[in-house]
Amino acid sequence: MESQPLDFSAPRRQSSVAIGVILIKFVRMTIRAFWPILLSFFIGGRGNSTFQDIIGYVAVGFAAFNLGGSILTYFRFYFHIDGDSIVIDKGILKRTKTNIPFARIQTINFRQNILHQIFNVVSVEIDTAGAKKSEISIDALKKTEAIALRDFILAEKAQLGTVENTDEKEVEEAILEEQILHLRPIDLLKVGISQNHLRSMALIFAFVFSTLNEATEDIGDFLSSQFGQYERYMVDNALFAFLFTVILVATISFLFSLVNSVLKYYELRLSIHKKGLKLVRGLLNREEISINRSKVQIISWSTNPIRRMFSMFTMKISQASSAESGSKGNIKVPGSYQEQITRVISAVFPEEYYQFDSDHKVSHLLKTRLFLFFGMIPSLLGLATYFEIGTDALFFLLWLPIIWALVSLYYSKRSFQLNQEFMKSNAGLFGRSYDLTQIHKIQAVRIKQSLYQRRKRLATVELFTAAGHLTLPFIELEKAQALENLILYRVESDRREWM
Amino acid sequence: MSSIFENLPINLDDLPKVEDIDFQPIDKKYLKVILIGNFLFFLLLAAGLFALNFFTDELGTTSYLISGGAFLLVITWNLIITFLGFKRKMYAIRDKDIIYTKGLIWFVRTSIPFNRIQHAEIKQGPIERKFKLSSLKVFTAGGQSSDLVIPGLPSETAQQLKDFILRKTAEDGEPTP
Repeated sequence: MESQPLDFSAPRRQSSVAIGVILIKFVRMTIRAFWPILLSFFIGGRGNSTFQDIIGYVAVGFAAFNLGGSILTYFRFYFHIDGDSIVIDKGILKRTKTNIPFARIQTINFRQNILHQIFNVVSVEIDTAGAKKSEISIDALKKTEAIALRDFILAEKAQLGTVENTDEKEVEEAILEEQILHLRPIDLLKVGISQNHLRSMALIFAFVFSTLNEATEDIGDFLSSQFGQYERYMVDNALFAFLFTVILVATISFLFSLVNSVLKYYELRLSIHKKGLKLVRGLLNREEISINRSKVQIISWSTNPIRRMFSMFTMKISQASSAESGSKGNIKVPGSYQEQITRVISAVFPEEYYQFDSDHKVSHLLKTRLFLFFGMIPSLLGLATYFEIGTDALFFLLWLPIIWALVSLYYSKRSFQLNQEFMKSNAGLFGRSYDLTQIHKIQAVRIKQSLYQRRKRLATVELFTAAGHLTLPFIELEKAQALENLILYRVESDRREWM
Repeated sequence: MSSIFENLPINLDDLPKVEDIDFQPIDKKYLKVILIGNFLFFLLLAAGLFALNFFTDELGTTSYLISGGAFLLVITWNLIITFLGFKRKMYAIRDKDIIYTKGLIWFVRTSIPFNRIQHAEIKQGPIERKFKLSSLKVFTAGGQSSDLVIPGLPSETAQQLKDFILRKTAEDGEPTP
């Protein structure tokens, strides 16, 4: 059966590895839902023999339930291709039959966790744009089978396409691909070092506290009982303890983001082919994401101070998706160099237009407004504590120059650029970030004015695409209106494919 | 004016201008719908506040006075905003797009070209039904943030608008090679 050409028209099951994959999914789900109960069994049962028996029964029941569930799920899952659509028939108690026409399929992505990698199978995710809940996945398919399925669907879809009349040669060419980025170990290390470590710290704190919170009713009690004995010591060596804690937390955060980057971006490869882009990445969970060229809505790239020292950027390629902020199906490539970004842009967007004349600054009143909200008002509130703490309150005045410096930094980087084809928004505080979109991909234009802005004849322009929006704050009203008219005209007169 | 963006092959002065359009106000009856809705909301809020004061023993008449006063202030403010802001709720249908404006303190104007509309639907709440009004909701792809709702349309108008938009979307949306 394996040697003959694959025929998808008859209903077929997944690879039997799927049982394992589904089992893992089930176990994970039950543990996530019941882990406090399970934990309390283990903790509460210490040294009590009847309790140990109960734990045993619970564990056996738990395992049996999960195993039975996953086997049933496996045997009740069929998929086949019927004409111009893929049909999935599944469900044990509630049977559902999902029918997705090829025309609505956005992308077909592959994902592999360790189990998949051992057995050389992949999980297939079929993503459609627009309608919610119309996303389907197949837990495990032999890799060759999955590739055959994807190629078949994409070829059929291309033939259905109304825009490009694809002939056989183009389908052939679509398979040809050129690798533009491969994250080597040294680059991976750089990416790990230049991650946002503050974010990892926040994540760790959030995790630790929420876990403690669920495990013990009262963190305060827990902490004081744990650290009570060190109290004297701590007071005597406050500075030492403080430094020690800072170094410990910093090291943990650093290692956390490093390990996280390695797991996520290991052996990342980005390649371009005729139809679009393809990304493969990950150590334990290996993912393959593809994006069609015409579906790309925004290309953004940004950098932070550390990453800038390596002259690296994080590139993000967003495509139309059903989820509001769902990053699913978006390609994120940390550790891209400028030339690689330029290559992606020229591969996805019409390159001949990719040059901008002038940089349009936003109004300097943005600076004063931000200073008012983030500098003056908090500082005044701080000064109000004068009545409580006396002259120490004057230290709040130090806040003002700090915020002024930050706001000035932000203002100096905030600008936008446009030409007949593109719109580009530039921003950044310590780092820099750029968002680039084609004007005809915009689907809604919004002008906003506060009372203050109306008095100063300014406006904020928001440009929505099917994958996020660009904001141009504090622009002169004349410019904002000209932009609005121009963009609406360009969108309405452009008949190219946009999503 | 055309020198605002210098590198464009299009003359900005020749483009149809959004700021020159005559906008249509929405149906005046919708003001009543908002007022009734707000009234019901504040009634519930007042009941909640009263219950809170009632069941908290230590608080005397002063707490009634304070919460009552704050409550009246909020209601007055809400009334002013509702009346003045109502005039700002306007819409316009052009040949190729649909535009809606609103907002007294925060003025917002959203424009969606017909060829970017995914679908449109009509909604009617219980109070709106009494006044034979409907809201028209226009959906775009990818998330809710750019969707557009025009409230307070007479039901027949809403239906006609929806049919018009869907027809336009089908016509304009067709890609031509």
